[in-house]
Amino acid sequence: MDEKQLTQEMWDVLIIGSGHAGGMAAKILTESGIRCLMLNAGPVADVTRDAQTKHTYELPYRGFHPPGRVPHVFQANEYNANVWVDEQEVPYTFDAKQPYNWVRVRLFGGRSLFWSRQSFRLSDYEFKAKSHDGFGEDWPISHADLAPYYARVEGIFQVSGALDGPAQMPGGNYVIDSSPWCPAMQRFRTAAKSAGMPVCKQRAAVGRDGLASSVNLLLPDAERTGKLTSLANAVVREITVDKNTGLPNGCHFVDRLSRREMTVKARVVVLAAGTLESTRLLLNSKLANSSGLVGRYLMDQIYGAGVVCSVPEARNGRGREQMGSSAIVPRFRNIDTKAKDFLRGYAFNVTASTGPLGARNFAAYGADLEKKLDEYEGSGFHMTIMGEVLGRYENHVRIDDTKTDAWGIPVLYVDTKYTDNEYNMAKDAVETASAVAQAAGFEILSKNAMPNPPGYSIHEVGTCRMGDDAKKSVLNKWNQSHDHKNLFVVDGAAFTSAGWQNPTMTILSLSMRASEYLAGEMTRQNL
Amino acid sequence: MLRRDFVRALVTIGVAPKFLLGQQQATPPGAPPPAPVPWLLGLNPKTPLPHVEVAEDVAATELRFFSPLQMQTLTRLAEVLVPPVGDKPGALQAGVPAFLDFLMASSPETRQQVYAGGLDWLEQEAQKKYQTPFSKVSDGQAGALLTPWLRTWMTDHPPTETHADFVNIAHDEIRLATVNSRPWFEATPPPTAPDPFNRSLYWYPIQPDVRYESAECAKIPAHVQAAPKSGHPMPQYPR
Repeated sequence: MDEKQLTQEMWDVLIIGSGHAGGMAAKILTESGIRCLMLNAGPVADVTRDAQTKHTYELPYRGFHPPGRVPHVFQANEYNANVWVDEQEVPYTFDAKQPYNWVRVRLFGGRSLFWSRQSFRLSDYEFKAKSHDGFGEDWPISHADLAPYYARVEGIFQVSGALDGPAQMPGGNYVIDSSPWCPAMQRFRTAAKSAGMPVCKQRAAVGRDGLASSVNLLLPDAERTGKLTSLANAVVREITVDKNTGLPNGCHFVDRLSRREMTVKARVVVLAAGTLESTRLLLNSKLANSSGLVGRYLMDQIYGAGVVCSVPEARNGRGREQMGSSAIVPRFRNIDTKAKDFLRGYAFNVTASTGPLGARNFAAYGADLEKKLDEYEGSGFHMTIMGEVLGRYENHVRIDDTKTDAWGIPVLYVDTKYTDNEYNMAKDAVETASAVAQAAGFEILSKNAMPNPPGYSIHEVGTCRMGDDAKKSVLNKWNQSHDHKNLFVVDGAAFTSAGWQNPTMTILSLSMRASEYLAGEMTRQNL
Repeated sequence: MLRRDFVRALVTIGVAPKFLLGQQQATPPGAPPPAPVPWLLGLNPKTPLPHVEVAEDVAATELRFFSPLQMQTLTRLAEVLVPPVGDKPGALQAGVPAFLDFLMASSPETRQQVYAGGLDWLEQEAQKKYQTPFSKVSDGQAGALLTPWLRTWMTDHPPTETHADFVNIAHDEIRLATVNSRPWFEATPPPTAPDPFNRSLYWYPIQPDVRYESAECAKIPAHVQAAPKSGHPMPQYPR
């Protein structure tokens, strides 16, 4: 035994990260009888201990985003400012002209505690995107390969939806939503049809007991097996390598509270720390990078562009008769026809809201504004886009040698920006949405064609993309490193293209598929 | 108690056990035996909690960011943009100008610039057009100055055009600070459904090193200053 090595335990699998990806790996592996150690960088959040219902006026900043606090988390406000990763504690850097919004949660369960729950499958328009339009790379798998895993994940997460999608939005194993469309959405559907836009039921994970997270849907199964050991507040510094074999064999981590340096050993390492944290760990450990592509092809989706309308028939207190449905318009550009100035496409989230409309939608003030707000309450019709960002070599992350985080771990430098493809797509989306809304007889109140900064969607994917060619990809089709057979990356880092879809269902299905492959390889003693 | 005094008190107890013992022996016979002092264990669920108020309900803010003239301009602007309507309080009843002074004082410079520059511009416009300070303009005059700059916009994308940025951001924030205030809450009939806007789940800092309570906390030095090991004043004990 290495004399510096105090613990004698040799784990079967070390899982770094406890969100959707890590939770799924833990469930599948432990249910196969494999002993796992899970490390999570942050504490366990206990809502009864750590949170309390409060009025806005009781808070020092009346609910405003606290000044200087997580400035790149636009989603933050005074109520939830403490759940995000502090940008001073774990900084990241970028050129001031190209800001990046890295939205992180390190609580046990990660971002699975707070996600929006939209649950879509990728289609072969994404898996085989290059075959369709010539840009980028195809994934080494197709929808058919992942479909059985999607179906199981949808069952676990209780995804509600309808089997009403076109080919670019494959149906799944849903709790069927058979609610009728509200009258306003009916009018929108008619108008959208002539514009070639399919309008489908939203697909969202209902979960259990109000939550659809790793901590209630995945980890309890793993814990029941007795094969899972978990540590909170374990900030992984680097993955360690066996000097003789060159294979990863565990990690060094620092206890976040005591600052004590610790080491664990394992036969297999599974990274599930979230796209950019997994990549940061690989770069800091100088592993899996024979292709030179670790950190390359960072993608996400453009958010923030959209149109806000009012449905005239729903004003003056008639909102509840007219409104109430929400819908998804799956990508419709570049499927059968070709858009003139961009590749791929975007989806619309469409909501006919029965709630109040924001004051920003009216160029009025004082008593006039209050009158408008009363009149328009319950008539808000919102269309916002989720647009595919192309995978580009130059959009990347690397280690910033000049800066470290609170534990002395070198931080990431994020070098990424949107291009005309994304801007043109957003412009097209706003023009199309405006035209359809007008055709439906809605009044347009406000619109915006400028996407939020990259990262805002919290859908960062890529940077360790999968592929069959070890020179052009980091992982193989089993989320396994081309370079080290006992190293897996099971989170969003594996994505070869981003798609317009929220990535969670795909991350979960990939993690499930990779973990079953890994369990099989371990049983066959190939690992 | 100052930290220094606290340490001194501890040291005193440490060096004077005989003195304390002597006191115990002096207890008159028949008195109840001295209980161990449960000095950290007394709080329990039956302990009554004192009633405390929100400070801004009973105290005034000392001006920390705006100049007195800017504050007068802001006060009139808040009064014009968010006046009391029906049962609802206006921005002045909600103490918004003082709150915004507090908010701006700890805000990043770009945001401070929007407000300070915008208020100065508004004052100049009032002087130029009506030869009067903005704080004295009539409702009609204020409307003529502001209305051309009103825009509609979506969250996270306020207007970027000079003057329109200030007018719309200030309007939005004056209104939000009003709607989120206690007077507004008290004028609102109890909601039939949970109202996520006025009452929501507040997350406390979760474990020490993510502790953060206000922007000012970042400026307070740590309780124990890091010192080189050799120069450390703490005594060493055999363990």
